[in-house]
Amino acid sequence: MFCPQCGTNNADIAAVCVQCGRVLQAGTPAPPLNVTGVVMPPAGTTVPNYLVFAILTTVFCCLPTGIPAIIFAAQVNGKLLAGDYAGAQAASNNAKIWCWVSFGVGLFGTLFWILIFGAGMLRHLR
Amino acid sequence: MQSTITKRTLAALFIAAVGLVLLRAFDPARSWIFPPCPVHYLTGCYCPGCGSLRAIHALLHGDVHRAWAMNPLTIVLLPFVAYGLFSEILVGLRGRGLPQPRLSSSAIYALGCMIVLFGVIRNLALVPFSLLALGAMLGF
Repeated sequence: MFCPQCGTNNADIAAVCVQCGRVLQAGTPAPPLNVTGVVMPPAGTTVPNYLVFAILTTVFCCLPTGIPAIIFAAQVNGKLLAGDYAGAQAASNNAKIWCWVSFGVGLFGTLFWILIFGAGMLRHLR
Repeated sequence: MQSTITKRTLAALFIAAVGLVLLRAFDPARSWIFPPCPVHYLTGCYCPGCGSLRAIHALLHGDVHRAWAMNPLTIVLLPFVAYGLFSEILVGLRGRGLPQPRLSSSAIYALGCMIVLFGVIRNLALVPFSLLALGAMLGF
């Protein structure tokens, strides 16, 4: 089966793509049997780990809040490999939250800085 | 009709383009429009990302040596981050990204440790680590 996301040729029984981690259930007509009590991922979903954004906020915005995002990104991949779909989804959500926290702090800090210096500049001009 | 995700991608692209134009036009070392690193501002220590804006500013002017001296980690990670971001843009525009390597969790932990470690050793007053401090390779 070819992965619809990255085109990698996977084994037909593969649950997730070995290359990009996308869930490969799209062709299955019936929902997968829940034999062992493991929650199967819904068809056609992927669990993003937001690693790129975590690195962006850590290194390119000088923000320590990006570190937890990197840690959760690592957990997403580890749990996906272990077959823990729910755990991977939870870690993915946490990674996303920390990326947005970093982005918010960076945006707020920048606006705050511009406000202070803008006010200082105006006073200087007057 | 464009989907929400396409519109968001286009908006993000626009903001990024404005940012890059500003970053090329104004030197973060001299201009006040770019905020200082909060870590350096509060503690006086260089964080892993200190100098990244100056590094990209130097890159946008074609000065690779200066960019490397400002923040080598940024230059090392930049191609990977650029590839990942380009893939995200493609996902937003056509619904399918570029092939992504599936990093193992230990590889990502190692990457995180490398970033933190870089932030620590560039504050040490010991050659060769002190060369990693902001601009040290330029003789600041």
